[in-house]
Amino acid sequence: MAVLTAPAQREQAPPARRGPAARRRTAGYLFILPIVVFFAFFVGYPLVRSLYLSLTQWSGYGRPKFVGLLNFSQLLGDPVFWQALRTTLIFTASTMILQTALPMLLAVFLHRGWKGSVVFRTLLFVPAVISLVVTGVLWQLMYDSKFGALNGVLRAFGLGGLAHDWLADPVTVIPALILVSVWQTLGLYLVIFLAGLQGIDPTLYEAARIDGAGGRQQFFHITVPMLRRVTSVVLVLNMMNGLKTFDLIFVMTGGGPNHGSEVLGTYLYGLAFGSGAGATPALGYATAISMVVLVLCMVGTVVQLRLSKRG
Amino acid sequence: MSSRSTETTPSRRPRAFGRRELMKKGLTGAAALGALSMAGACDSMYTSGSNGRAKIRVWTWYTQQRDEWPRLVDEFQQAHPTIEVENRLFGNTNAYLPALQAAVSAGDPPDVFGPHVLAVTYGQAGISADLRKELGADFLADFVQSTNDAYSDGDKQYAVGWMAQMFGIFYDPEVFRRASVDVPETWDDLIEAVRRIRTATRLEGCVVRNIPGTAGLDFLLPLVTQITGDPKLMIDIDHQRGGAKWTHPAVVEAMRHVRGMIEGGTISPGPNGIAQPQDERLLYAGEAAMLYSGSWIPQDFAQSAPPEFVRRYRVMKTPAWAAGQRHWTANQAGAGLAVSDVSRNKEAALEFLRFIYQRDRYARTMNDSRSMPSTKSAGQLVQDPVMREMTQWLLDGDGAPHILFGKGSSAAASNAFAGVVGGQLSPESAAETIQSRVEAAARR
Repeated sequence: MAVLTAPAQREQAPPARRGPAARRRTAGYLFILPIVVFFAFFVGYPLVRSLYLSLTQWSGYGRPKFVGLLNFSQLLGDPVFWQALRTTLIFTASTMILQTALPMLLAVFLHRGWKGSVVFRTLLFVPAVISLVVTGVLWQLMYDSKFGALNGVLRAFGLGGLAHDWLADPVTVIPALILVSVWQTLGLYLVIFLAGLQGIDPTLYEAARIDGAGGRQQFFHITVPMLRRVTSVVLVLNMMNGLKTFDLIFVMTGGGPNHGSEVLGTYLYGLAFGSGAGATPALGYATAISMVVLVLCMVGTVVQLRLSKRG
Repeated sequence: MSSRSTETTPSRRPRAFGRRELMKKGLTGAAALGALSMAGACDSMYTSGSNGRAKIRVWTWYTQQRDEWPRLVDEFQQAHPTIEVENRLFGNTNAYLPALQAAVSAGDPPDVFGPHVLAVTYGQAGISADLRKELGADFLADFVQSTNDAYSDGDKQYAVGWMAQMFGIFYDPEVFRRASVDVPETWDDLIEAVRRIRTATRLEGCVVRNIPGTAGLDFLLPLVTQITGDPKLMIDIDHQRGGAKWTHPAVVEAMRHVRGMIEGGTISPGPNGIAQPQDERLLYAGEAAMLYSGSWIPQDFAQSAPPEFVRRYRVMKTPAWAAGQRHWTANQAGAGLAVSDVSRNKEAALEFLRFIYQRDRYARTMNDSRSMPSTKSAGQLVQDPVMREMTQWLLDGDGAPHILFGKGSSAAASNAFAGVVGGQLSPESAAETIQSRVEAAARR
């Protein structure tokens, strides 16, 4: 009897239940599944696909032809690529320095809360809410050699000899673009530094004052070290924006004259899509340039983060 | 029984909407949404429109006919009830080209489209149809020869001209009268005329713009034809055919000529910093005596220039290389129309082309938008007086190539020419630079 009933009892027994830890783990995986799928679909796959395309010869139609590292070896002998790379690095280095130092200094001044600082904060932030394309068009008009405001002001003050084709001269075009970039981003980084300054304990400054430290000493020995993490974030943002800069230059100069303001972004765009200059599409080659930009961004970010940690 | 019922009751109780249920329903919903969007995407790949009508997509950036395209589409659909036309007009080439490139890459180009400078490239790749075969030589015979040449590769032609262009020098006759100079016939005459105008009026001479991108080539490339008298040479150089190269002496000579005129003050300084709105304003605001530009000027002046200037301005032919020679000038129609060779509704697309190019309809479209027609028959019906005069030059056959269609040509030539204009490159090194970049582009 016991022999007969025992199997029946085993059949009736409920399935073994997993423990609460296992269930929590499964639920956790399920919760992150959508973002993993999203990331894999919209970031992972394009990245792998881009890597593959960079190893192909492809005009954007027909089947890509696998050519191995040919695109990268052609890049080595492409003078326009080297010029674009050099300009990109100059632009990035300049904007990293200017777009970090200027907002920090301005933030320190405005943080003191003197009369009118709120108005100045607002005025300085306004350019940040204007789209880069609109900014580019506005400054293009400002720099206009014949009818632009900049040359007009110079002439009005008797400095007509300094009037110049700012965007048409390879010597002045990059500084002119850097100025616009600084003007446009100043407000955003100013806000970030102001937020950082509000996080510094005021007693540090009180103690320093009691010890006889002046304004400059307080700035270099308290403000700068305490803003280290904020500065690091701003530097990384500036570096990445500099390396992938495109819209401002595309709108204002299209990379000209004679590649004088060509950066990697405008060069690869022209190669990929033809653009106004009528370049014939070379998507495989353009993708190889995008891989260079990716590597530069990754290396730069890692170096920057390491340095900031060590600091 | 009772024990069974005791066991089953809890499972029949309405359950709370748990985490697992949420996940399951969420994933099912997402899958359904994905399937719907995939279905939508697939639908766009089919060329049949609603009600089983054949659907053709027409893509251009020809905003000059912003008002005319919808009317053409309506007329066509009324005459062809079985064909539906989806008209998409882009604002400019910067918006248009990436969209076209994406559609072509996806293997789904528009049925009718403006090929920009890629007409021959797309034709060779089997994307755009050979219109000589599809429409017949008789149909193409009505188009101005130079525009047909621009879209041709051997005995095949991959697009037809839509808006022709004819370039000339627009000038203020009042300035010429004050300086006591006549309309120049040759470049030497022009150089002398500007010298006298500058002395008498202190105005700039002839404005030539070189932005954006390819604008300066409109001025440079016809000079190559002027030097050689052979409009085919520039096309051969562009496509690197028959051993023709950018280092050809005529190319170098043409660049040297431009550089000399900039240094001598015949051409207004700083072409690399002059765009279209500025160059027009320099003329009608009385800061320059002449402007080298295209046949869109009558429309622009009518909209922007002072009325008294609009009444008195005139246009002259581009000066000839030497007295008695032809006044070759830029005239290719960069604005053309191509038909997809892979379209399921290619016949409908070709029928659309035949319809919009019917003489009276095409002439009306061009007249209403003050555009220059690309066909000889419509050219006889141009109404605007300045446009009529310029169209006559087109019909006389003075058109020379000025738009580059060969692989890498346009970007390489426009950039190197900017270097010559800016004084950073000599004509010889610029020619070598263009040639080496074109050869590099061919390897990509």
